[in-house]
Amino acid sequence: MKTEMEIRRALHDWIVKTNGKIRPESLTDETPIIEQRIISSLQVIDLLLFLEQLTGKSVDVEKLKPGIFESINTLYENFFRKETYVY
Amino acid sequence: MSNFPRVVEKLCEASKKEYANPYSSMEWPEALDPEGWYMSPELLSIYGMPEYERLTEGERKKLSFYEAVNFFSLNIHGEKSLVEGLARQLYQKGNQDLSPYLHHFLDEENKHMVYFGGFCTRYAGKVYRDRKMVFPRDYAPGEEGFLFFAKVLIFEEIVDLYNVKMSKDARLAPIARQINLSHHRDEMRHLVFGRNLVKELFHRCAAVWPAEVVQGVRRYLAGYFSATWKEYYNPDVYKDAGLEEPYRLQEAAMNRPEARAHRKKISEGCIRYFLENHILEEEPVI
Repeated sequence: MKTEMEIRRALHDWIVKTNGKIRPESLTDETPIIEQRIISSLQVIDLLLFLEQLTGKSVDVEKLKPGIFESINTLYENFFRKETYVY
Repeated sequence: MSNFPRVVEKLCEASKKEYANPYSSMEWPEALDPEGWYMSPELLSIYGMPEYERLTEGERKKLSFYEAVNFFSLNIHGEKSLVEGLARQLYQKGNQDLSPYLHHFLDEENKHMVYFGGFCTRYAGKVYRDRKMVFPRDYAPGEEGFLFFAKVLIFEEIVDLYNVKMSKDARLAPIARQINLSHHRDEMRHLVFGRNLVKELFHRCAAVWPAEVVQGVRRYLAGYFSATWKEYYNPDVYKDAGLEEPYRLQEAAMNRPEARAHRKKISEGCIRYFLENHILEEEPVI
């Protein structure tokens, strides 16, 4: 079972690798990744696959709330914190 | 659009002549033959991989069933948003020449979903879920309409090549061949419409768009080729077919050189169209 720090690090590393241009130190847990086009709308499918792999759970896109992909913070809150699970 | 009204007229005539009732034109078997092929082996997403080579013939056929359900499912999801977009275009200002054919287009896309949904729900009890999401944003004048039709064209060009191959594949179960053929018969006209319309819209819009909009559109469409293909590699399929590590397999299947070569070959006609009409300036990486 991954710790919170490990999960946030995994999300951070995935976003940096997928973007290919951003400097790792420029991406914080609050950085608006969709708004700043760090991850494009076309790459969200890859992000969902990554989240499914990390959580071991299937994601129903139709149940996702607006703003869920805003930042690493919102990703962690909605996909990994049991109290606020999106599933 | 000097020639386009005549193209639209001929497409309407052909659609009326080829009009089919989806509720009576398909011969649905009570149950599927478990020993049947439902997708051509060479089109299976893991064809040629060690994971495929290790499967028995029975396991490969089972995989072909789930890959067929996936192929029909991704068509349903594409067509759902296509129907929404086409309905918005109907009788919009400036679309008076298009609307007669848009009615046929809408009608035919709905019929396709009857075929695809019929197969998925009858024999798999489900449609595979869609992982695509749309994020609202602002568009330059004409950009949203242009991108809508350009994305439809990319999606349908890839699907049609799969339809053509599978409709002729004597190894496949008759219902699989029939669905692929029925879809292809209408798609031929949709592609003629799309190819004519997309280049007209681009030349009209690109003449007035700022350079950064044109570049943004090019970047988006290049990425869209890749995003469209990702749906053909679905870990849910691998899970249902009993394959291990479905997410690792999805990534490996997508990224191997043979798969890239396959996608490039299937997409080459469509890419050539986008390059010849200067909609793209370089080949997208898929």
